[in-house]
Amino acid sequence: MRRLRPLEPLAWVGPAVLLIAVVVIWPVIEMVRSSFLQISRVGVVRGYNGFDNYDKLFAEKDFADIMVRSVIWVVAVVALTVLISLALAQLFNQRFPGRKMARWALIAPWAASVLMTAIVFRWMLDPEVGVINQIRLKLGLIDALGGADADQLGVAATAMPWLVFVAVFVSVPFTTYALLAGLATIPSDVYEAAKMDGASRLRTYWSITLPLLRPALTVAALINVMNVFNSFPIIWAMTHGQPGYSTATSTIFMFILKSSDIGESAAMSVVNFGMVLVITAVFLKISRWNRAVA
Amino acid sequence: MTPSHEKAVLTVNMKLVGGAALGLATMLVLSSCGSSTPETGGGDKAAGGGQVTLKMVAADYGDGPGKPNSGQTFWDGVVKEFEAANPNIKVDVQVINWNDIDKQVATMIQNGQVPDILQTGDYSGFVADQLLYKVDEVLSPEVSGDMLQKFADYGKVDGTAYGIPFVSSARALFYNKELFSKAGIAEPPKTWDEIKAAAKKLKDAGVSQPFGLPLGQEEAQAESFLWMLGNGGGYKDASGKWAINSPQNVETFTYLKGMVAEGLTTPNPGTKDRKTVWEDFGAGKVGMVNGGPMSIPIFDAAGLKDYGVVPIPGKAGPLDTTLGVMDWIMAFNKNGHAAEIKKFFDFFYTGSAAQKISDTYKLLPVTNGGIQKLSGDEKLKPFLDALPNASFYPFQDPKWADLNPAIKQTIGGAVTDDPAKVLGELQKTAESS
Repeated sequence: MRRLRPLEPLAWVGPAVLLIAVVVIWPVIEMVRSSFLQISRVGVVRGYNGFDNYDKLFAEKDFADIMVRSVIWVVAVVALTVLISLALAQLFNQRFPGRKMARWALIAPWAASVLMTAIVFRWMLDPEVGVINQIRLKLGLIDALGGADADQLGVAATAMPWLVFVAVFVSVPFTTYALLAGLATIPSDVYEAAKMDGASRLRTYWSITLPLLRPALTVAALINVMNVFNSFPIIWAMTHGQPGYSTATSTIFMFILKSSDIGESAAMSVVNFGMVLVITAVFLKISRWNRAVA
Repeated sequence: MTPSHEKAVLTVNMKLVGGAALGLATMLVLSSCGSSTPETGGGDKAAGGGQVTLKMVAADYGDGPGKPNSGQTFWDGVVKEFEAANPNIKVDVQVINWNDIDKQVATMIQNGQVPDILQTGDYSGFVADQLLYKVDEVLSPEVSGDMLQKFADYGKVDGTAYGIPFVSSARALFYNKELFSKAGIAEPPKTWDEIKAAAKKLKDAGVSQPFGLPLGQEEAQAESFLWMLGNGGGYKDASGKWAINSPQNVETFTYLKGMVAEGLTTPNPGTKDRKTVWEDFGAGKVGMVNGGPMSIPIFDAAGLKDYGVVPIPGKAGPLDTTLGVMDWIMAFNKNGHAAEIKKFFDFFYTGSAAQKISDTYKLLPVTNGGIQKLSGDEKLKPFLDALPNASFYPFQDPKWADLNPAIKQTIGGAVTDDPAKVLGELQKTAESS
């Protein structure tokens, strides 16, 4: 019996390891393998394809634009989400009448399906009947419904900000709650000490709240980075990446490729995966997440 | 900082490590999840008594699961009747919506779960991999003899028939009579010049989308093709070479670009799906739009009654052809169920089922017998008349499958950017090996 003792931990972590192997590692291996195969459009594997899928992908006219746009998309959405959530978390950390209600209300965009939210926004922006356009008409911002002026999702320059807005809208609740939890871990006596030392409110926030909030902030931002990078439903439901590929991110592009060339689509997935790793590494480097806070 | 603070920070930091690990796992899952493979039970396990189960995958012509006209309801009815007549054969039907069916079938084949019968929009992709039975192995000569010859010919690859025409459809121009009389237009347009003139009058009368032009992702390849035909163009030239950026096509899209610039069409056509535009037509916001029999239920649902249907105007006169779209049914040879499949196909075409699918979904039949039965329907007449001389996508060319998604995504740019450049890019895609 004693000899079996060292194996005991295995019984505890085994199921988790197995689960990770099956649902995480195996698909990753399959994904990488597929990217080196020639697969006919109907799904028949025709053999090893070397780097041809990658060559074809990198030769796509829109590839570079799409990758740059993906990075801008991630940075814009995550930065806005974090800034807004920092303010909201601060607000919800105060005691005010109706705070409970307000906190509940904040959950709504999170609880609703992202796809549903995106479709709702698409209809609100519909050039003929969308409520946002009805309001703009009443305010005199547009002359008539149905024309090009009312069609904000039809042009990348106006569609992109709306896509970012919706992405921020659905990301804020989670981020705010993560930061709220972080705020709750900051002991009140540090604030008392700061008060006694005569620190201004801004100074207190900058030198005490933010540094102590950094762990929560880092995790919240990191999860957002990965989520937003892989975000599919918002763009797909609102613009399909159109006009052309001008609102498409790499995830959207991967999906479009899937209907013409599965191997190339797999190559796009691998590149996507690499991008997430790189962005995450850069992010962790910048935020120096593992350095002691004190 | 007091020791108790340090401890607090330490705890948080440890939580962070856990959080980061969780994050990493999330990332792995998120970036590696592909499409799920639907579990389809049954398969080809023959039960006792020589019972055979046919696995069938079909596209949904209805409004989706739970709706009274859903594909599942339709097929369940057909199968019930068939199973009553053939107690030894069971048919498992899985109905998938049009957006997902091609990807899901590809996944099934990739995983070795090949169906016996597939009903979808294309068969030609399966031929090269030798996955299909020939038509004469799974269909009686009486049935195949009744097929419209032109349709049956499109089911052939290198002279051998693999695809069985299932239903068809054709296109014509719909116009809103009420808006036309309000704008003072006496007759529906026959030429491009007349379209433009009518569109201008409609615009002056306050119609926001004089011509509905859906060049967005849903079906840009159809709308584009209709316009190309109007100028003697097409995706291929007469010799069968790709000719997407032919001078005729460039001229066609230059004309359309002019219409768009003057605000005579749907705004930003390259982002608009046909369903949205048809709904706008039904709501009386659109003066004219190209549509088919399948758009009639949408117009009816929106409450539009007073519309006319005429042949599609070309540059110099009405088209003597139109876009014909055919859907197919096919049999896979992996499970070796040719005899049972033949029974099912013969049952489908000779019984009431083929007729029923035309009636339910306003799709056009593919057999001479079926067309005769429908010839009394006034609303369908323009389409039935157009069918025998219809033009089709070059879907037998294996390149079409690669090209089609690119057309859907980008061809709308030809009416806002430089037509020659956009069409040139598509031509390059078509010509690349």
